[in-house]
Amino acid sequence: MKRRTMILSTLGVAGALIVGWGALPARSRLGSPDNFLTGDGAISLNGWIQIAPDGSVGLAMNKSEMGQGIFNALMMLVAEELNAPMASIYLHQAAYDGIYGNVALFMGALPLHPVVNDGEKPFIMKSSEWLVGKVARELGINATGGSTSVADSWLNLRYAAATAKASLLMAASKQWNVPAKDLQVINGKIIGPGGKSAHFGDFAKEAAALTPNEVALKDRKEWEVIGRDTKRVDIPSKTDGSAIFGIDIRLPNMLYATIVQAPMMGGSIKELDTNQNVPGLLKIVPLKSYAGSANGFAVVGKTTWDAMQGSKQVKVQWAERKDGAINTDQILKTLQENIKKDNGFTFYKTGDTTEAEKKARKVIEASYSAPYLAHATLEPMNCTVQIKDGQVDVWVPTQIPGLARALAAKIANAPVAKVNLHVTLLGGGFGRRLELDFVSQAVQVAMTTDGRPVQLTWSREQDMANDFYRPMQATQLKASLNEKGQVDSLRIVSAGDAITPRWMERVSIPLAGPIDAPDKTASEGLFDFPYAFTNQHISHIPTHMGVPIGYWRSVGHSQNAFFLESFMDELAYATKQDPLAFRESLLTDAPRYLAVLQLAAKKANWGGPLPSGHARGIALHESFGSIVAEVVEASIQNGKPQVHRVVCAIDCGTVINPNTVAQQIQSSVNFGLTAALYGKIDIKDGVVQQTNFNNYPILSMSESPQVETWIVPSTRAPAGVGEPGVPPVAPALSNALFALTGNRIRKLPLLA
Amino acid sequence: MQLTINDKSVELTVDPSMPLLWVIRDVLNMTGTKYGCGIAACGACTVLVNGRATRSCVTPVESVSGAKITTIEYLGTPEKPHPLQAAWIQEQVPQCGYCQSGMLLAAVDLLTRKPKPTDADIDEAMSNICRCGTYQRVKAAIHTAAKERA
Repeated sequence: MKRRTMILSTLGVAGALIVGWGALPARSRLGSPDNFLTGDGAISLNGWIQIAPDGSVGLAMNKSEMGQGIFNALMMLVAEELNAPMASIYLHQAAYDGIYGNVALFMGALPLHPVVNDGEKPFIMKSSEWLVGKVARELGINATGGSTSVADSWLNLRYAAATAKASLLMAASKQWNVPAKDLQVINGKIIGPGGKSAHFGDFAKEAAALTPNEVALKDRKEWEVIGRDTKRVDIPSKTDGSAIFGIDIRLPNMLYATIVQAPMMGGSIKELDTNQNVPGLLKIVPLKSYAGSANGFAVVGKTTWDAMQGSKQVKVQWAERKDGAINTDQILKTLQENIKKDNGFTFYKTGDTTEAEKKARKVIEASYSAPYLAHATLEPMNCTVQIKDGQVDVWVPTQIPGLARALAAKIANAPVAKVNLHVTLLGGGFGRRLELDFVSQAVQVAMTTDGRPVQLTWSREQDMANDFYRPMQATQLKASLNEKGQVDSLRIVSAGDAITPRWMERVSIPLAGPIDAPDKTASEGLFDFPYAFTNQHISHIPTHMGVPIGYWRSVGHSQNAFFLESFMDELAYATKQDPLAFRESLLTDAPRYLAVLQLAAKKANWGGPLPSGHARGIALHESFGSIVAEVVEASIQNGKPQVHRVVCAIDCGTVINPNTVAQQIQSSVNFGLTAALYGKIDIKDGVVQQTNFNNYPILSMSESPQVETWIVPSTRAPAGVGEPGVPPVAPALSNALFALTGNRIRKLPLLA
Repeated sequence: MQLTINDKSVELTVDPSMPLLWVIRDVLNMTGTKYGCGIAACGACTVLVNGRATRSCVTPVESVSGAKITTIEYLGTPEKPHPLQAAWIQEQVPQCGYCQSGMLLAAVDLLTRKPKPTDADIDEAMSNICRCGTYQRVKAAIHTAAKERA
C-alpha cells in the first residue's frame, strides 16, 4: 500500500459524508421535550430531563449498562447539576433521536498522537477533530463502547440538568413572585425566602414553556456529588435475582429458540429438511446471513432446553467454506511473512529511522504475536422478538440499539417507526454486543411464529465458535543503539486484520467504503506511545484472513501494549538499566505519564525487598484518554505463574465515582490476566477448537490477585475507565516472569 | 412430578431428565438463576438443594424431587436481606451482575459449612466464574458477612 499521511486519510474518510448541514454546536444535543415523551404524566424539559408529578427526575438513558456502572455515573452528573438526591432520579431508555448518538466514540477513532497533540493543536488537527465531531453528530449513532460514555455525556448531560434547573427556578420565581436570586435548590427542593419550599413537580409545567437566558455549570469547587464514592443504584437488584438481562425476558405465550451454525467457519447449509420430525421441536427455520452472522438454522421449542436438545437431533448436511478451511497456525505464518516483506500504512513517523539503523552500533530485534480471542460474556448471545399486527418489538442486550432497530426493521420489512427496541441489562459486553448477528437471527425466527414472541438463546458452544474474535496479530519491533549505547530509534511493523472496516460493513454504518480506510485500532498503542525516541517509524499491514473479527475490550491496545511494553523491558535489560529508570529517562517531556508511572512504582515499593521467589514487573500504557501503570508481583508455584499483587495507578481525568474506577481496575486486571495466562482461540481445519469454559478457561477466584488502585488527581475532562486497565496487565506480568526466570515470552498467552 | 422450591410445593408435568435450571427458568419463569455454560463449569446456575450449592444445569429435575430447593429469589427480602446480600451491597460487589446469583448461593453454602472462612477456604469453595472479575470484592463481602453474623 502507498503511504499516505494520517491526516489526509482521516479527512478522506469523513469527507465522503459531508452533506451540507452546518456545524451542529454541542449545545444542540440538549434536544427538545419532544425527544423525551414518555406518556406517563411526567413533563420533559429537554431531550434528557423530565420531571414527574411527585418531583422526581427522569433521565433519558442512552447508554447500556454492562457492568461498568454507567447508569450510576450519569445519574451523578444530573444529581450534581440539579441538586437532586440520587434516590429521586429514575431512568427511561432514550429514544432514537440523533442527540443520543455517541460523538466521543468517533472522535476517539482519530489517529492522533496524545503527547504530540496534547495542548495547542495545529490547525489541521483541530479541523479534523471538528469534522469528525460534525460527522458523528450527523450520524447520531447511539453506541456504548470505547470507554467513552462519561466523556460523551460530560458536557451535554450537565448542561441539560443545569438548563432544567434554571428553567425550574424561573418558573418558581414567577409563581412565588420572588426574584430568582433569592431562590435555591437544596436536596431536590426549591427553597424560597422564609423557608418556603416545594418540589420540582410544582413548577415543571411552567418551566417547560420557559427558556433560560443563561445557563452556567457549577464550578468544580461547588461539587457535592462528582468525585465522591457513591453506591451503585443497579447493585441491589443484582443481589436478589430481580435484575432483568436479555435472557430473562418472559412474555405471555413465548416460544424458545436456539441456533446451529455451520461447524466449519465460513461453511453453509448444503441440505436441510425443515419438515423433519424431531422430538421437542416445533419448527426448524433456515436463516439468511445478515450483519456478518454465520450460516445456519434455528430451532424452536417450548423451552430453551427442548430447543437445545432438539437442535442436536436435526439432520443436516453442511457445505465447506468455498475458499478452503481456515487454520490459525497458517494465519500466524502468513502474518509473520507479511511483516518481513512490507511496511504497510505508516501511522506515525518522526526523524529518520532508516538512517539511525544504518549508523547503529547495535540493533535489537524481536518478533511478537497474539492469538485470536473470544469475548465469552457470561450471558450468552440472545434476543427476544415479537412481530404482531405490523408492530415489531425487540428485547435485546445490545451496545448499539439504534443500529439494532434499523436492522430489525430491514429484515422484518417494516418501517423503522414500527420497531420498538427495548435495551435490557447486559450480562457482559466487552465489545461482543456491538454486533447484530443474533438480532438478525431472532427477527427471522419471529417472522415464522405467527405473532408469538420468541426468545433466541445461543448455547455456550455456539457462542464460543461463532464470535467476532480479537484479531490475531504479528509484530516486529526493531531498536537501534547509537555509539553511546542509547536507544535512538524504534521501528514497529505489525500485521493483522483491521476491525473497523469489517464492523462498519456488518452493522451498516454508512462510512464503509469500497476501499478500507486505515484503522486506528490496528496500531493504537504502538504509534502513539509517549517515549521520546528520536527516530520512530510505526506502521501496520491490514490483512484479510477470513476469520470474523471484532472489538474486544481495549481493542488494539490489548495486544499492542504487550508487544511494546515487553520490548521496552527487553531494551532496558539490553542497555543495562532498571526497567523503571529506563522508562523514566524517556518521559521527561511527558509529565502526566511520568507521574502515573512513578506513583505505581512508589506504591508498589519498586526495588524494595520481596519474599524469596517473588519478582516485580512494570508496564505503562495510555488508552481511551487514560494513562495506567501497573506493577505485578508474581512467583512460580508448582511450575505455574501465581500473581500475588497488582498495584495500579491511573490518570483518567476528572473522576465521577472513585469506587467505580477502583472496581473497573479490579475488573480489568482479572480480565487481562485471563487473556495473558490462558486466552486463545485455535482454528483447525476450519473448526474452532475451544468449546466452553472447560477449554477456554477464565481466571478463578483462587488465581485472582490483590489489586490496589491509586488515582492521580486531575482537573482535565473525564476519560475512559472501563478498558484502560486491561492493556498493561499482560506485559507487566510477562516482565515479572522474565525477572523471575530470565526467559522472555514473546507470544500470548504466556502459558501456551 | 412434585417439587419443593422456595418452601412452595409445585406440581409439574415435564420430562424428568430436564435439568433443574430450565425447569426453574422456562417452566416456573423464575429468572434469577442463570444459564452460562450448561456443563457445570461456570456456576451461574447455582441453587441450594437441601442447603448445598448445586449446579442446576446438570441436575435432572427428577433427582431433586422431594428435596428442598432454594433460589436467589428466596434468599432474603428487601426489608430483611440475607447477611451476604447486605455485604454484597456494602462492598459494592456486582458489575454486570449475571454471575452473582450463583456466586451468592455458593457463598451461603460456604458460610453454612464454615462460618469463619479463611481466604484459602474461600478460594477452595468458590469456583464460580465471574467474567467481569468481581473476585476481590466477593472475598471481601464473604468476610464482611461472616463478621456480621458472629
